[in-house]
Amino acid sequence: MKAIDVVVSSATQAFGLSSTKEQHKAYVQADLLIIPLIVLLFMGIFSFHFALLVGDWDYWVDWRDRRWWPLVTPLALSVLPGVFGFLLWDKLRLPLGGTLTILCLTLAAWISRYLNFHLFADFPMNFVWPSTYIALGLILDCMLLLTRSFFWTGLFGGFAFGLLIYPLNWSMLAPFQVPLELNGTMLTVADLMGYEYIRTAIPEYVRIIEESTLRTFGSAVTPLTAVFAGFLTIMNYWFWLWIGYLGAKAIWLRKIV
Amino acid sequence: MKLLLALLLSLPAFSAMYSPPLLAHGERAQMPQLRMRTVHWIDVQASTSKMAVNDVVKISGKFMPSKYWPHHVDSIEETAFLNIGVPGPSFVRLDSRVNGVPMIRSTSFRKGEVYDFEITLKARKVGRYHVHTVINVEGAGPMIGPGMWVEVTGDEAAFQNTATTLLGETIDLETYGFGNVMFWSALWFSVGLAWFVYWLTKCPIVVPRFKRTVELGVEADQMITPMDRRIGVIFLGLTLTLIVGGYVYAQEKWPITTPLQTGKIDIPPLEQEPNPISIKLIEARYRIPGRSFRMEFDVINNSDRPVTIGEFAAGNLRFINAKVLDVKPKDEHDLVASDALRVEGAPVAAGATQRVVIYADDAMWETERMTTMISSPDAVVAGMLSFFEDGGKRHLVEFGGPMIPDFGMGKS
Repeated sequence: MKAIDVVVSSATQAFGLSSTKEQHKAYVQADLLIIPLIVLLFMGIFSFHFALLVGDWDYWVDWRDRRWWPLVTPLALSVLPGVFGFLLWDKLRLPLGGTLTILCLTLAAWISRYLNFHLFADFPMNFVWPSTYIALGLILDCMLLLTRSFFWTGLFGGFAFGLLIYPLNWSMLAPFQVPLELNGTMLTVADLMGYEYIRTAIPEYVRIIEESTLRTFGSAVTPLTAVFAGFLTIMNYWFWLWIGYLGAKAIWLRKIV
Repeated sequence: MKLLLALLLSLPAFSAMYSPPLLAHGERAQMPQLRMRTVHWIDVQASTSKMAVNDVVKISGKFMPSKYWPHHVDSIEETAFLNIGVPGPSFVRLDSRVNGVPMIRSTSFRKGEVYDFEITLKARKVGRYHVHTVINVEGAGPMIGPGMWVEVTGDEAAFQNTATTLLGETIDLETYGFGNVMFWSALWFSVGLAWFVYWLTKCPIVVPRFKRTVELGVEADQMITPMDRRIGVIFLGLTLTLIVGGYVYAQEKWPITTPLQTGKIDIPPLEQEPNPISIKLIEARYRIPGRSFRMEFDVINNSDRPVTIGEFAAGNLRFINAKVLDVKPKDEHDLVASDALRVEGAPVAAGATQRVVIYADDAMWETERMTTMISSPDAVVAGMLSFFEDGGKRHLVEFGGPMIPDFGMGKS
């Protein structure tokens, strides 16, 4: 008898579950307890993680440039889908690590932007809306489901994850990059909002807008960044899958116990 | 007992009535040597102190980056930005200029140069705000200028902020593009939620699937059904189609866009008359028990009129010689000591070189936390002296040098 059968059998006896119906009810109750807790956990840790590593790039519409935002974001964003994607697939055969973690991040981000940035700090919502990344999580999960391979998921899904972050958000971002003029200076709508809606602690120079050059690639900044982000995300996703694998072995837990 | 009860009951009422003004821009928290030796703010004023939503206030004046800028602090001659210190976007900034040049982007300022500035703000939120001028310096942080109270009344819902794009479209910056953002966000959230719900329909999932995965071991992929795979193909196709569709839609609807704009701009210096007054700091001593700053200078007056000192300013504190100037605080937090500057040895005759001693004595040194200048790592102070001719003409002269604290223990 395997260890897990022993544990489940002991638990069944301990809780007095004598029939299949009662066992099913107990499993449902376990789901009702565990799933909301996992959702809350993902909301909390992903928000914290994302605030630390991406922060202003996602807070303000005038930070989302063509070069750094689509490069930094997928690297930070693919960490939790890698770790929890491994755990959920390896232990439960659920292709949910990408979608669920990013869904939780999105929900937490919208709550935070509305309560903290809009209601408390008075910024208009059209200046502080969170970008959308749910599609990237879906691509990872669908790839994992269809290939049943972390290698192919990392190769194709990870590449698409980095590649598609800009086109995915372009449907929302494009209107904010329409040009206008202010006192003889050309700006985008996003730049104008950044100038007008005062942020005392965020001066103009803090933004990292297209720093460095890509002189041999003409004006193809966005595609080049996207492809580079895709390659990096492949490595990054594999690395965090490996971290998830190490976590799943729970050697550290056995050492403590 | 009754008295205690009454006191306890009255405490919430008292705390509700007593609301001390919040000076939350950190003006007192900055190190004194940072305040005294970074930016000197001169004649800063607001065009009004009471206004309604949609009204405009202009904050104007001059500033001079100090020649005694601390070596351990990143220089204002690299990258800086003229800013305003208010709690959030209670105002929108319509315009800001230094020497007439728009300050939309970052710039750099030269030490010892005097700059004119003007910032135009439009009231957005009702409230009473302590508005500060600020210069952010890259690597050094905000250098905070004097604050002024501005009270905004009216109807926030009536606030308007429009702009016209180069394509001729007039847009409301408060709401522009948000409907589109909501649509795409809601759409993606729905698709993601649908994927999650599909797997939830297999509930109970946690314990049974865990057991089954362990049982099947390397064959655990058998848990994935043909229906699961079909759903995976559908969702993958839908996701890629929506991404491409959204991109094409945006390209069709907003075909003309530009990348975010940034960069640094140069500011030409103002033409200025040569300053006929020069000074040399002989000694600066701060007497801690008396909150008294004594400074001794050699003043060289190359003008054709006698001059005397009307004001000493340091770290946004202004000490006025009441015999020369009549300056009253504009509000309860205007850091002006109207009669706190004593001058010995003035006026300085035309063409003369004369030893002048000034005493700046006021509790502001303590209340504004300037006394911690004695803890400075280099014990150097700087300030601005305003010399006045008998006809009222003003000459501004910066000075700086080492400061010796006097602890009132005998030797000083």
